[in-house]
Amino acid sequence: MKSPLRGPANVTEGLVGFLASAGAVVLVSAAIAVLDRWIPVLSLGVLYILAVMPVAVLWGLALASAVSVASMLAFNWFFLPPTHTFQLRDGANWAVLAVYLATAVVVSALAARARRRAELAEAREREAAARAAAELEAEALRRSDSLKTALLHAVSHDLRSPLTAIVAAASGLANPQVSLDEVDRRELVETIRIEAERLDRLVGNLLDLSRLRAGAVVPHPELWTVDDLVSRALDELGSRGDRVAVTFDEDAPPVEVDAAQLERVLVNLLDNALKFSDRSVELRVEADGDAVLLHVTDDGPGVADRDLVFEPFHSAGERRGAGLGLAIARGFAEANGARVWAEPSERGAHFVLELPVAARAPVVA
Amino acid sequence: MTRILVVDDEPQILRALQTSLRGAGYEVDTATTGEQALTAAAVRPPDAVILDLVLPDRRGTDVARELRAWSAMPIIVLSVVGDEADKVAALDAGADDYVTKPFGVDELLARLRAALRRAEPSGEPVLEIGDLRIDFDAHAVAFDGRSVQLTPHEYALLTLLARNEGKLMTHQAILREVWGRAYADESHYLHVYVSQLRRKLEPDPARPRYILTEPGVGYRLVDPLRAS
Repeated sequence: MKSPLRGPANVTEGLVGFLASAGAVVLVSAAIAVLDRWIPVLSLGVLYILAVMPVAVLWGLALASAVSVASMLAFNWFFLPPTHTFQLRDGANWAVLAVYLATAVVVSALAARARRRAELAEAREREAAARAAAELEAEALRRSDSLKTALLHAVSHDLRSPLTAIVAAASGLANPQVSLDEVDRRELVETIRIEAERLDRLVGNLLDLSRLRAGAVVPHPELWTVDDLVSRALDELGSRGDRVAVTFDEDAPPVEVDAAQLERVLVNLLDNALKFSDRSVELRVEADGDAVLLHVTDDGPGVADRDLVFEPFHSAGERRGAGLGLAIARGFAEANGARVWAEPSERGAHFVLELPVAARAPVVA
Repeated sequence: MTRILVVDDEPQILRALQTSLRGAGYEVDTATTGEQALTAAAVRPPDAVILDLVLPDRRGTDVARELRAWSAMPIIVLSVVGDEADKVAALDAGADDYVTKPFGVDELLARLRAALRRAEPSGEPVLEIGDLRIDFDAHAVAFDGRSVQLTPHEYALLTLLARNEGKLMTHQAILREVWGRAYADESHYLHVYVSQLRRKLEPDPARPRYILTEPGVGYRLVDPLRAS
Protein backbone atom coordinates (compact mmCIF):
# COMPACT_ATOMS: atom_id res chain seq x y z
CA MET A 1 0.00 0.00 0.00
CA LYS A 2 1.28 3.48 -0.83
CA SER A 3 1.75 5.97 1.97
CA PRO A 4 0.93 9.59 1.06
CA LEU A 5 4.39 10.64 2.31
CA ARG A 6 6.32 8.08 0.34
CA GLY A 7 8.00 9.09 -2.87
CA PRO A 8 8.16 7.19 -6.17
CA ALA A 9 8.45 3.45 -5.71
CA ASN A 10 11.36 2.74 -8.10
CA VAL A 11 13.86 4.39 -10.44
CA THR A 12 11.83 4.14 -13.65
CA GLU A 13 8.74 5.42 -11.95
CA GLY A 14 10.84 8.17 -10.35
CA LEU A 15 12.29 9.23 -13.71
CA VAL A 16 8.88 9.26 -15.39
CA GLY A 17 7.53 11.27 -12.44
CA PHE A 18 10.38 13.73 -12.62
CA LEU A 19 10.01 14.27 -16.40
CA ALA A 20 6.24 14.56 -16.12
CA SER A 21 6.59 17.05 -13.25
CA ALA A 22 9.09 19.15 -15.18
CA GLY A 23 6.91 18.97 -18.29
CA ALA A 24 3.85 19.99 -16.29
CA VAL A 25 5.65 23.05 -14.86
CA VAL A 26 6.91 24.02 -18.35
CA LEU A 27 3.45 23.51 -19.86
CA VAL A 28 1.69 25.63 -17.22
CA SER A 29 4.41 28.30 -17.52
CA ALA A 30 3.87 28.42 -21.30
CA ALA A 31 0.09 28.63 -20.82
CA ILE A 32 0.53 31.54 -18.40
CA ALA A 33 2.85 33.25 -20.87
CA VAL A 34 0.09 33.05 -23.51
CA LEU A 35 -2.81 34.00 -21.19
CA ASP A 36 -0.78 36.81 -19.67
CA ARG A 37 -1.95 39.13 -22.45
CA TRP A 38 -5.59 39.04 -21.37
CA ILE A 39 -5.58 38.14 -17.66
CA PRO A 40 -3.68 39.80 -14.77
CA VAL A 41 -0.62 37.67 -14.12
CA LEU A 42 -1.12 37.41 -10.33
CA SER A 43 -4.39 35.51 -10.72
CA LEU A 44 -2.80 33.17 -13.28
CA GLY A 45 -0.41 31.68 -10.65
CA VAL A 46 -3.29 29.48 -9.58
CA LEU A 47 -2.88 27.55 -12.86
CA TYR A 48 0.20 25.81 -11.40
CA ILE A 49 -2.30 23.79 -9.36
CA LEU A 50 -3.00 22.02 -12.67
CA ALA A 51 0.60 20.77 -12.57
CA VAL A 52 0.70 20.00 -8.84
CA MET A 53 -2.58 18.04 -8.69
CA PRO A 54 -1.92 15.31 -11.27
CA VAL A 55 1.59 14.83 -9.88
CA ALA A 56 0.15 14.56 -6.35
CA VAL A 57 -2.42 12.00 -7.44
CA LEU A 58 -0.01 9.95 -9.54
CA TRP A 59 3.31 10.15 -7.66
CA GLY A 60 2.47 11.28 -4.14
CA LEU A 61 3.37 14.08 -1.79
CA ALA A 62 7.16 14.27 -2.22
CA LEU A 63 7.13 14.98 -5.95
CA ALA A 64 4.06 17.21 -5.59
CA SER A 65 5.94 19.31 -3.04
CA ALA A 66 8.91 19.56 -5.42
CA VAL A 67 6.55 20.64 -8.24
CA SER A 68 5.06 23.23 -5.88
CA VAL A 69 8.48 24.70 -5.17
CA ALA A 70 9.46 24.58 -8.86
CA SER A 71 6.14 26.21 -9.84
CA MET A 72 6.63 28.92 -7.27
CA LEU A 73 10.20 29.62 -8.51
CA ALA A 74 9.11 29.57 -12.19
CA PHE A 75 6.23 31.93 -11.48
CA ASN A 76 8.55 34.15 -9.51
CA TRP A 77 11.27 34.16 -12.19
CA PHE A 78 9.14 34.49 -15.34
CA PHE A 79 6.03 36.41 -14.40
CA LEU A 80 6.22 38.34 -11.11
CA PRO A 81 7.45 41.83 -11.94
CA PRO A 82 10.27 42.63 -11.97
CA THR A 83 10.75 39.42 -14.00
CA HIS A 84 13.99 37.38 -14.26
CA THR A 85 14.82 37.97 -10.61
CA PHE A 86 13.85 36.01 -7.48
CA GLN A 87 11.94 38.08 -4.96
CA LEU A 88 11.45 35.74 -2.04
CA ARG A 89 10.29 38.47 0.31
CA ASP A 90 7.27 39.16 -1.80
CA GLY A 91 4.15 38.34 0.29
CA ALA A 92 2.05 37.30 -2.71
CA ASN A 93 4.78 34.91 -3.76
CA TRP A 94 4.66 33.15 -0.39
CA ALA A 95 0.90 32.95 -0.49
CA VAL A 96 1.05 31.30 -3.89
CA LEU A 97 3.59 28.78 -2.59
CA ALA A 98 1.38 28.06 0.42
CA VAL A 99 -1.63 27.44 -1.83
CA TYR A 100 0.40 25.06 -4.03
CA LEU A 101 1.73 23.10 -1.07
CA ALA A 102 -1.61 22.88 0.68
CA THR A 103 -3.22 21.67 -2.53
CA ALA A 104 -0.48 19.10 -3.00
CA VAL A 105 -0.89 17.80 0.56
CA VAL A 106 -4.68 17.61 0.46
CA VAL A 107 -4.87 16.06 -2.99
CA SER A 108 -2.17 13.47 -2.40
CA ALA A 109 -3.68 12.53 0.94
CA LEU A 110 -7.09 12.12 -0.70
CA ALA A 111 -5.59 10.14 -3.54
CA ALA A 112 -3.74 7.86 -1.15
CA ARG A 113 -6.89 7.30 0.83
CA ALA A 114 -8.85 6.44 -2.29
CA ARG A 115 -6.09 4.04 -3.32
CA ARG A 116 -6.06 2.47 0.11
CA ARG A 117 -9.83 2.02 -0.02
CA ALA A 118 -9.65 0.44 -3.41
CA GLU A 119 -6.90 -1.89 -2.24
CA LEU A 120 -8.87 -2.78 0.89
CA ALA A 121 -11.98 -3.51 -1.13
CA GLU A 122 -9.95 -5.65 -3.48
CA ALA A 123 -8.36 -7.52 -0.58
CA ARG A 124 -11.77 -8.06 0.96
CA GLU A 125 -13.07 -9.38 -2.31
CA ARG A 126 -10.11 -11.74 -2.62
CA GLU A 127 -10.58 -12.85 0.97
CA ALA A 128 -14.30 -13.46 0.43
CA ALA A 129 -13.53 -15.49 -2.68
CA ALA A 130 -10.92 -17.50 -0.76
CA ARG A 131 -13.34 -18.02 2.10
CA ALA A 132 -16.07 -19.16 -0.28
CA ALA A 133 -13.64 -21.63 -1.86
CA ALA A 134 -12.55 -22.90 1.55
CA GLU A 135 -16.16 -23.29 2.62
CA LEU A 136 -16.98 -25.19 -0.53
CA GLU A 137 -14.09 -27.52 0.17
CA ALA A 138 -15.13 -27.94 3.80
CA GLU A 139 -18.69 -28.67 2.72
CA ALA A 140 -17.46 -31.34 0.32
CA LEU A 141 -15.34 -32.82 3.11
CA ARG A 142 -18.25 -32.71 5.51
CA ARG A 143 -20.46 -34.41 2.99
CA SER A 144 -17.95 -37.15 2.29
CA ASP A 145 -17.39 -37.41 6.03
CA SER A 146 -21.09 -37.76 6.77
CA LEU A 147 -21.39 -40.32 4.01
CA LYS A 148 -18.59 -42.30 5.63
CA THR A 149 -20.24 -41.96 9.03
CA ALA A 150 -23.56 -43.06 7.60
CA LEU A 151 -21.84 -45.99 5.93
CA LEU A 152 -20.12 -47.01 9.15
CA HIS A 153 -23.29 -46.65 11.15
CA ALA A 154 -25.42 -48.51 8.64
CA VAL A 155 -22.92 -51.28 8.21
CA SER A 156 -22.21 -51.67 11.91
CA HIS A 157 -25.90 -51.74 12.78
CA ASP A 158 -26.90 -53.94 9.88
CA LEU A 159 -24.09 -56.36 10.46
CA ARG A 160 -24.66 -56.48 14.18
CA SER A 161 -28.35 -57.36 14.19
CA PRO A 162 -28.01 -60.54 12.13
CA LEU A 163 -24.78 -61.39 13.95
CA THR A 164 -26.52 -61.05 17.30
CA ALA A 165 -29.30 -63.39 16.22
CA ILE A 166 -26.78 -65.87 14.81
CA VAL A 167 -24.54 -65.84 17.91
CA ALA A 168 -27.54 -66.11 20.24
CA ALA A 169 -29.05 -69.00 18.27
CA ALA A 170 -25.74 -70.83 17.83
CA SER A 171 -24.74 -70.46 21.50
CA GLY A 172 -28.23 -71.58 22.50
CA LEU A 173 -27.77 -74.71 20.40
CA ALA A 174 -24.35 -75.34 21.92
CA ASN A 175 -25.18 -74.60 25.56
CA PRO A 176 -25.65 -77.81 27.61
CA GLN A 177 -27.80 -75.93 30.15
CA VAL A 178 -30.31 -75.20 27.42
CA SER A 179 -32.42 -78.26 26.72
CA LEU A 180 -34.09 -78.11 23.33
CA ASP A 181 -36.57 -80.35 21.60
CA GLU A 182 -36.49 -81.02 17.88
CA VAL A 183 -38.79 -78.09 17.05
CA ASP A 184 -36.68 -75.63 19.07
CA ARG A 185 -33.52 -76.90 17.46
CA ARG A 186 -34.99 -76.47 13.98
CA GLU A 187 -36.13 -72.96 14.89
CA LEU A 188 -32.67 -71.92 16.02
CA VAL A 189 -31.06 -73.40 12.91
CA GLU A 190 -33.66 -71.59 10.80
CA THR A 191 -32.78 -68.32 12.54
CA ILE A 192 -29.12 -68.84 11.76
CA ARG A 193 -29.94 -69.55 8.10
CA ILE A 194 -32.26 -66.54 7.68
CA GLU A 195 -29.84 -64.14 9.33
CA ALA A 196 -26.85 -65.48 7.40
CA GLU A 197 -28.79 -64.82 4.19
CA ARG A 198 -29.52 -61.31 5.43
CA LEU A 199 -25.82 -60.74 5.99
CA ASP A 200 -25.14 -62.05 2.52
CA ARG A 201 -27.70 -59.64 1.04
CA LEU A 202 -26.10 -56.72 2.87
CA VAL A 203 -22.64 -57.60 1.64
CA GLY A 204 -24.06 -57.99 -1.89
CA ASN A 205 -25.72 -54.57 -1.65
CA LEU A 206 -22.51 -52.92 -0.50
CA LEU A 207 -20.63 -54.48 -3.39
CA ASP A 208 -23.33 -53.43 -5.86
CA LEU A 209 -23.25 -49.89 -4.55
CA SER A 210 -19.50 -49.62 -4.84
CA ARG A 211 -19.63 -51.03 -8.38
CA LEU A 212 -22.34 -48.54 -9.33
CA ARG A 213 -20.37 -45.70 -7.77
CA ALA A 214 -17.26 -46.73 -9.63
CA GLY A 215 -19.20 -46.89 -12.89
CA ALA A 216 -18.25 -50.55 -13.21
CA VAL A 217 -21.75 -51.80 -14.01
CA VAL A 218 -21.96 -52.92 -17.64
CA PRO A 219 -25.38 -54.28 -18.63
CA HIS A 220 -25.67 -57.22 -21.03
CA PRO A 221 -29.11 -56.55 -22.52
CA GLU A 222 -31.22 -59.40 -23.85
CA LEU A 223 -34.86 -59.68 -24.80
CA TRP A 224 -37.06 -60.62 -21.87
CA THR A 225 -40.77 -60.66 -21.17
CA VAL A 226 -41.79 -58.69 -18.13
CA ASP A 227 -43.50 -61.82 -16.77
CA ASP A 228 -40.13 -63.61 -16.74
CA LEU A 229 -38.44 -60.72 -14.96
CA VAL A 230 -41.17 -60.63 -12.33
CA SER A 231 -41.06 -64.36 -11.65
CA ARG A 232 -37.26 -64.26 -11.34
CA ALA A 233 -37.62 -61.53 -8.73
CA LEU A 234 -40.33 -63.42 -6.83
CA ASP A 235 -38.13 -66.55 -6.86
CA GLU A 236 -35.31 -64.55 -5.39
CA LEU A 237 -37.56 -63.26 -2.59
CA GLY A 238 -38.41 -66.85 -1.58
CA SER A 239 -41.22 -67.26 0.92
CA ARG A 240 -41.41 -63.53 1.45
CA GLY A 241 -42.52 -63.26 -2.16
CA ASP A 242 -45.80 -64.95 -1.19
CA ARG A 243 -47.00 -61.63 0.17
CA VAL A 244 -46.69 -59.97 -3.26
CA ALA A 245 -49.97 -59.80 -5.23
CA VAL A 246 -49.08 -59.57 -8.93
CA THR A 247 -51.31 -58.25 -11.74
CA PHE A 248 -49.88 -58.84 -15.23
CA ASP A 249 -50.77 -57.01 -18.42
CA GLU A 250 -51.12 -59.35 -21.39
CA ASP A 251 -50.31 -56.51 -23.81
CA ALA A 252 -46.95 -55.77 -22.21
CA PRO A 253 -44.32 -56.04 -24.98
CA PRO A 254 -40.89 -57.58 -24.32
CA VAL A 255 -38.08 -55.41 -23.00
CA GLU A 256 -34.36 -55.45 -23.68
CA VAL A 257 -32.50 -55.36 -20.40
CA ASP A 258 -29.87 -57.15 -18.33
CA ALA A 259 -32.09 -59.63 -16.50
CA ALA A 260 -29.79 -60.11 -13.52
CA GLN A 261 -29.56 -56.37 -12.95
CA LEU A 262 -33.27 -55.79 -13.47
CA GLU A 263 -33.94 -58.59 -11.00
CA ARG A 264 -31.94 -56.61 -8.42
CA VAL A 265 -34.06 -53.54 -9.15
CA LEU A 266 -37.33 -55.42 -8.71
CA VAL A 267 -36.16 -57.40 -5.69
CA ASN A 268 -34.99 -54.22 -3.96
CA LEU A 269 -38.24 -52.38 -4.73
CA LEU A 270 -40.34 -55.31 -3.47
CA ASP A 271 -38.03 -55.90 -0.50
CA ASN A 272 -38.45 -52.27 0.49
CA ALA A 273 -42.25 -52.48 0.21
CA LEU A 274 -42.40 -55.76 2.18
CA LYS A 275 -40.24 -54.25 4.91
CA PHE A 276 -42.63 -51.37 5.46
CA SER A 277 -45.91 -53.22 5.17
CA ASP A 278 -47.29 -56.08 7.22
CA ARG A 279 -49.94 -56.91 4.67
CA SER A 280 -49.66 -57.83 1.03
CA VAL A 281 -47.71 -55.71 -1.41
CA GLU A 282 -49.07 -55.02 -4.87
CA LEU A 283 -47.07 -55.33 -8.10
CA ARG A 284 -49.00 -54.16 -11.15
CA VAL A 285 -47.64 -54.37 -14.71
CA GLU A 286 -48.97 -51.80 -17.18
CA ALA A 287 -48.17 -51.41 -20.91
CA ASP A 288 -47.85 -47.72 -21.70
CA GLY A 289 -46.93 -47.00 -25.33
CA ASP A 290 -43.15 -47.21 -25.69
CA ALA A 291 -42.68 -48.30 -22.12
CA VAL A 292 -43.79 -50.89 -19.61
CA LEU A 293 -44.59 -49.57 -16.16
CA LEU A 294 -44.27 -51.70 -13.04
CA HIS A 295 -46.09 -50.21 -10.06
CA VAL A 296 -45.05 -51.37 -6.59
CA THR A 297 -47.41 -50.19 -3.86
CA ASP A 298 -47.55 -50.89 -0.14
CA ASP A 299 -49.66 -49.66 2.76
CA GLY A 300 -46.73 -48.72 4.98
CA PRO A 301 -45.94 -45.27 6.34
CA GLY A 302 -45.20 -43.88 2.85
CA VAL A 303 -42.31 -41.79 1.58
CA ALA A 304 -41.44 -38.51 3.28
CA ASP A 305 -39.11 -37.17 0.57
CA ARG A 306 -39.52 -38.69 -2.88
CA ASP A 307 -35.97 -37.78 -3.96
CA LEU A 308 -34.07 -38.29 -0.74
CA VAL A 309 -35.41 -41.83 -0.49
CA PHE A 310 -33.10 -42.84 -3.36
CA GLU A 311 -29.98 -41.46 -1.65
CA PRO A 312 -27.70 -44.19 -0.31
CA PHE A 313 -27.72 -44.58 3.49
CA HIS A 314 -30.96 -42.70 3.71
CA SER A 315 -32.95 -45.01 5.94
CA ALA A 316 -36.45 -44.47 7.27
CA GLY A 317 -35.49 -45.66 10.71
CA GLU A 318 -32.87 -47.20 12.91
CA ARG A 319 -34.26 -50.66 12.33
CA ARG A 320 -35.26 -50.42 8.70
CA GLY A 321 -31.97 -51.34 7.16
CA ALA A 322 -28.93 -49.64 5.77
CA GLY A 323 -30.85 -47.53 3.26
CA LEU A 324 -29.06 -49.06 0.27
CA GLY A 325 -31.81 -50.95 -1.58
CA LEU A 326 -33.51 -48.07 -3.39
CA ALA A 327 -30.23 -46.35 -4.27
CA ILE A 328 -29.05 -49.58 -5.85
CA ALA A 329 -32.39 -50.10 -7.61
CA ARG A 330 -32.12 -46.67 -9.21
CA GLY A 331 -28.46 -47.22 -10.13
CA PHE A 332 -29.13 -50.51 -11.94
CA ALA A 333 -32.30 -49.18 -13.57
CA GLU A 334 -30.50 -46.18 -15.02
CA ALA A 335 -27.62 -48.35 -16.23
CA ASN A 336 -30.27 -50.24 -18.25
CA GLY A 337 -32.01 -47.19 -19.68
CA ALA A 338 -34.90 -47.64 -17.26
CA ARG A 339 -36.20 -45.20 -14.66
CA VAL A 340 -37.38 -45.55 -11.07
CA TRP A 341 -39.25 -42.91 -9.14
CA ALA A 342 -41.64 -42.50 -6.23
CA GLU A 343 -45.15 -41.34 -7.09
CA PRO A 344 -47.04 -39.08 -4.72
CA SER A 345 -49.42 -41.31 -2.80
CA GLU A 346 -52.24 -40.75 -0.34
CA ARG A 347 -51.38 -43.77 1.77
CA GLY A 348 -48.38 -46.07 1.69
CA ALA A 349 -45.60 -45.80 -0.85
CA HIS A 350 -45.95 -46.03 -4.63
CA PHE A 351 -42.82 -46.73 -6.68
CA VAL A 352 -42.78 -46.96 -10.47
CA LEU A 353 -40.21 -48.77 -12.60
CA GLU A 354 -40.36 -47.72 -16.25
CA LEU A 355 -38.77 -50.16 -18.72
CA PRO A 356 -38.26 -49.02 -22.32
CA VAL A 357 -39.73 -51.41 -24.87
CA ALA A 358 -37.21 -53.36 -26.98
CA ALA A 359 -36.31 -51.62 -30.24
CA ARG A 360 -35.88 -54.81 -32.25
CA ALA A 361 -38.77 -57.11 -32.96
CA PRO A 362 -39.14 -60.06 -30.60
CA VAL A 363 -38.32 -63.49 -31.94
CA VAL A 364 -41.51 -65.48 -31.73
CA ALA A 365 -40.87 -69.00 -30.66
CA MET B 1 -41.51 -70.95 37.02
CA THR B 2 -39.41 -67.83 36.61
CA ARG B 3 -40.83 -65.59 33.90
CA ILE B 4 -38.66 -63.35 31.72
CA LEU B 5 -39.93 -60.56 29.47
CA VAL B 6 -37.74 -60.17 26.38
CA VAL B 7 -38.05 -56.86 24.49
CA ASP B 8 -36.43 -56.51 21.05
CA ASP B 9 -37.85 -55.49 17.70
CA GLU B 10 -35.63 -57.80 15.64
CA PRO B 11 -37.85 -60.87 15.16
CA GLN B 12 -34.94 -63.29 14.72
CA ILE B 13 -33.12 -62.10 17.84
CA LEU B 14 -36.38 -62.35 19.74
CA ARG B 15 -36.96 -65.88 18.44
CA ALA B 16 -33.43 -67.07 19.27
CA LEU B 17 -33.61 -65.65 22.80
CA GLN B 18 -37.08 -66.99 23.39
CA THR B 19 -36.13 -70.52 22.35
CA SER B 20 -32.86 -70.53 24.29
CA LEU B 21 -34.33 -69.06 27.48
CA ARG B 22 -37.23 -71.51 27.35
CA GLY B 23 -34.71 -74.30 26.92
CA ALA B 24 -32.88 -73.03 30.00
CA GLY B 25 -36.05 -73.46 32.04
CA TYR B 26 -37.55 -69.96 31.97
CA GLU B 27 -41.01 -68.97 30.90
CA VAL B 28 -40.72 -66.25 28.25
CA ASP B 29 -42.96 -63.34 27.28
CA THR B 30 -41.96 -61.16 24.34
CA ALA B 31 -42.56 -57.59 23.20
CA THR B 32 -41.35 -55.76 20.12
CA THR B 33 -41.98 -52.15 21.16
CA GLY B 34 -41.52 -50.10 24.33
CA GLU B 35 -45.27 -49.60 24.58
CA GLN B 36 -45.91 -53.37 24.34
CA ALA B 37 -43.21 -54.02 26.93
CA LEU B 38 -44.72 -51.62 29.47
CA THR B 39 -48.19 -53.09 28.96
CA ALA B 40 -46.94 -56.69 29.18
CA ALA B 41 -44.96 -55.92 32.34
CA ALA B 42 -47.98 -54.27 33.94
CA VAL B 43 -50.45 -57.01 33.02
CA ARG B 44 -48.20 -59.93 34.01
CA PRO B 45 -45.21 -58.63 35.99
CA PRO B 46 -42.19 -60.75 35.00
CA ASP B 47 -39.37 -61.78 37.33
CA ALA B 48 -36.82 -60.07 35.08
CA VAL B 49 -36.70 -58.03 31.87
CA ILE B 50 -34.24 -58.29 28.99
CA LEU B 51 -34.52 -54.97 27.18
CA ASP B 52 -33.00 -53.79 23.93
CA LEU B 53 -31.86 -50.16 24.15
CA VAL B 54 -33.01 -49.34 20.61
CA LEU B 55 -36.72 -49.78 20.07
CA PRO B 56 -38.87 -48.41 17.26
CA ASP B 57 -41.19 -46.30 19.40
CA ARG B 58 -39.07 -45.13 22.31
CA ARG B 59 -35.66 -45.41 23.91
CA GLY B 60 -34.92 -48.49 26.00
CA THR B 61 -33.54 -46.17 28.69
CA ASP B 62 -36.97 -44.53 29.04
CA VAL B 63 -38.66 -47.93 29.25
CA ALA B 64 -36.22 -48.94 32.01
CA ARG B 65 -36.96 -45.71 33.89
CA GLU B 66 -40.72 -46.25 33.65
CA LEU B 67 -40.47 -49.86 34.80
CA ARG B 68 -38.23 -48.83 37.67
CA ALA B 69 -40.81 -46.25 38.78
CA TRP B 70 -43.08 -49.00 40.06
CA SER B 71 -41.08 -52.21 40.18
CA ALA B 72 -37.79 -53.56 41.47
CA MET B 73 -37.65 -56.37 38.87
CA PRO B 74 -34.13 -56.90 37.50
CA ILE B 75 -33.58 -55.25 34.09
CA ILE B 76 -30.76 -56.35 31.78
CA VAL B 77 -30.27 -54.12 28.76
CA LEU B 78 -28.90 -55.17 25.37
CA SER B 79 -26.54 -52.57 23.97
CA VAL B 80 -23.93 -52.28 21.26
CA VAL B 81 -20.21 -51.66 21.36
CA GLY B 82 -19.31 -47.99 21.51
CA ASP B 83 -22.53 -46.80 23.11
CA GLU B 84 -20.91 -46.27 26.51
CA ALA B 85 -23.01 -43.17 27.17
CA ASP B 86 -26.19 -45.12 26.44
CA LYS B 87 -25.14 -47.92 28.77
CA VAL B 88 -24.45 -45.49 31.60
CA ALA B 89 -27.75 -43.71 30.97
CA ALA B 90 -29.63 -47.02 31.07
CA LEU B 91 -27.88 -48.10 34.27
CA ASP B 92 -28.58 -44.73 35.85
CA ALA B 93 -32.21 -45.07 34.77
CA GLY B 94 -32.42 -48.24 36.87
CA ALA B 95 -31.18 -51.06 34.67
CA ASP B 96 -29.21 -53.66 36.63
CA ASP B 97 -26.76 -54.82 34.01
CA TYR B 98 -26.03 -54.93 30.32
CA VAL B 99 -24.73 -57.33 27.72
CA THR B 100 -23.14 -56.15 24.51
CA LYS B 101 -24.34 -57.38 21.12
CA PRO B 102 -23.52 -59.82 19.76
CA PHE B 103 -23.60 -61.95 22.92
CA GLY B 104 -23.71 -65.64 23.66
CA VAL B 105 -26.64 -67.19 25.50
CA ASP B 106 -24.16 -68.39 28.18
CA GLU B 107 -23.23 -64.84 29.07
CA LEU B 108 -26.83 -63.71 29.10
CA LEU B 109 -27.87 -66.63 31.32
CA ALA B 110 -25.04 -65.88 33.78
CA ARG B 111 -26.04 -62.21 34.01
CA LEU B 112 -29.67 -63.17 34.36
CA ARG B 113 -28.98 -65.65 37.17
CA ALA B 114 -26.87 -63.08 39.03
CA ALA B 115 -29.59 -60.44 38.65
CA LEU B 116 -32.31 -62.82 39.85
CA ARG B 117 -30.15 -63.89 42.82
CA ARG B 118 -29.66 -60.27 43.86
CA ALA B 119 -33.37 -59.64 43.60
CA GLU B 120 -33.98 -62.10 46.45
CA PRO B 121 -33.43 -60.19 49.66
CA SER B 122 -30.93 -61.79 52.04
CA GLY B 123 -31.00 -60.61 55.61
CA GLU B 124 -27.79 -62.45 56.41
CA PRO B 125 -25.52 -60.58 58.82
CA VAL B 126 -22.50 -62.24 57.21
CA LEU B 127 -21.76 -62.20 53.49
CA GLU B 128 -19.26 -64.57 51.91
CA ILE B 129 -18.09 -64.06 48.35
CA GLY B 130 -15.26 -66.39 47.43
CA ASP B 131 -12.48 -65.79 49.97
CA LEU B 132 -14.04 -62.51 51.03
CA ARG B 133 -16.04 -62.45 54.26
CA ILE B 134 -17.93 -59.40 55.52
CA ASP B 135 -19.53 -59.35 58.97
CA PHE B 136 -21.96 -56.43 58.81
CA ASP B 137 -22.79 -56.46 62.53
CA ALA B 138 -19.16 -56.39 63.60
CA HIS B 139 -18.06 -54.11 60.69
CA ALA B 140 -15.31 -56.66 60.10
CA VAL B 141 -13.80 -57.76 56.83
CA ALA B 142 -11.64 -60.82 56.34
CA PHE B 143 -9.95 -62.20 53.26
CA ASP B 144 -8.84 -65.82 53.12
CA GLY B 145 -9.09 -66.03 56.90
CA ARG B 146 -6.92 -62.97 57.69
CA SER B 147 -8.57 -59.82 58.98
CA VAL B 148 -8.36 -56.73 56.76
CA GLN B 149 -8.30 -53.17 58.15
CA LEU B 150 -10.38 -50.74 56.09
CA THR B 151 -11.06 -47.02 56.43
CA PRO B 152 -14.76 -46.06 56.75
CA HIS B 153 -14.96 -45.04 53.05
CA GLU B 154 -13.23 -48.22 51.92
CA TYR B 155 -15.64 -50.23 54.05
CA ALA B 156 -18.66 -48.40 52.66
CA LEU B 157 -17.42 -48.91 49.12
CA LEU B 158 -16.73 -52.61 49.63
CA THR B 159 -20.07 -53.32 51.29
CA LEU B 160 -21.95 -51.46 48.57
CA LEU B 161 -20.25 -53.53 45.86
CA ALA B 162 -20.61 -56.76 47.86
CA ARG B 163 -24.32 -56.25 48.56
CA ASN B 164 -24.71 -55.87 44.79
CA GLU B 165 -22.53 -58.85 43.95
CA GLY B 166 -22.26 -59.35 40.21
CA LYS B 167 -24.10 -56.13 39.46
CA LEU B 168 -22.43 -53.42 37.47
CA MET B 169 -22.44 -50.24 39.56
CA THR B 170 -21.87 -46.99 37.68
CA HIS B 171 -19.29 -44.49 38.92
CA GLN B 172 -22.04 -42.01 39.67
CA ALA B 173 -24.17 -44.49 41.60
CA ILE B 174 -21.20 -45.53 43.77
CA LEU B 175 -20.08 -41.96 44.40
CA ARG B 176 -23.61 -40.91 45.34
CA GLU B 177 -24.01 -43.83 47.77
CA VAL B 178 -20.61 -43.69 49.45
CA TRP B 179 -19.52 -40.04 49.30
CA GLY B 180 -22.85 -38.26 48.79
CA ARG B 181 -24.63 -36.49 45.98
CA ALA B 182 -22.13 -33.59 45.83
CA TYR B 183 -19.36 -35.98 44.80
CA ALA B 184 -21.26 -37.67 41.96
CA ASP B 185 -18.81 -36.40 39.32
CA GLU B 186 -15.56 -36.93 41.23
CA SER B 187 -14.73 -40.29 39.72
CA HIS B 188 -10.99 -39.89 40.49
CA TYR B 189 -11.85 -40.41 44.20
CA LEU B 190 -13.39 -43.67 43.27
CA HIS B 191 -10.42 -44.87 41.20
CA VAL B 192 -8.09 -44.13 44.12
CA TYR B 193 -10.26 -45.95 46.67
CA VAL B 194 -10.81 -48.93 44.40
CA SER B 195 -7.08 -49.37 43.89
CA GLN B 196 -6.54 -49.12 47.66
CA LEU B 197 -9.21 -51.76 48.22
CA ARG B 198 -7.64 -54.00 45.61
CA ARG B 199 -4.23 -53.68 47.28
CA LYS B 200 -5.76 -54.74 50.60
CA LEU B 201 -7.95 -57.56 49.26
CA GLU B 202 -6.86 -58.90 45.92
CA PRO B 203 -4.15 -61.58 45.88
CA ASP B 204 -2.72 -59.88 42.76
CA PRO B 205 -3.92 -56.22 42.68
CA ALA B 206 -2.61 -55.78 39.12
CA ARG B 207 -4.92 -58.56 37.92
CA PRO B 208 -8.03 -58.05 40.00
CA ARG B 209 -10.40 -61.00 40.24
CA TYR B 210 -12.95 -59.63 42.70
CA ILE B 211 -13.40 -55.95 41.89
CA LEU B 212 -13.62 -55.73 38.11
CA THR B 213 -13.43 -52.56 36.05
CA GLU B 214 -15.98 -51.92 33.32
CA PRO B 215 -14.13 -49.23 31.38
CA GLY B 216 -15.97 -45.95 31.18
CA VAL B 217 -18.96 -47.31 33.09
CA GLY B 218 -18.23 -48.52 36.60
CA TYR B 219 -17.20 -51.44 38.79
CA ARG B 220 -18.55 -54.87 39.55
CA LEU B 221 -17.68 -57.16 42.47
CA VAL B 222 -17.80 -60.82 41.51
CA ASP B 223 -17.10 -64.20 43.01
CA PRO B 224 -14.17 -65.38 40.88
CA LEU B 225 -15.19 -69.01 41.27
CA ARG B 226 -18.77 -68.47 40.26
CA ALA B 227 -17.90 -66.04 37.47
CA SER B 228 -15.53 -68.37 35.69
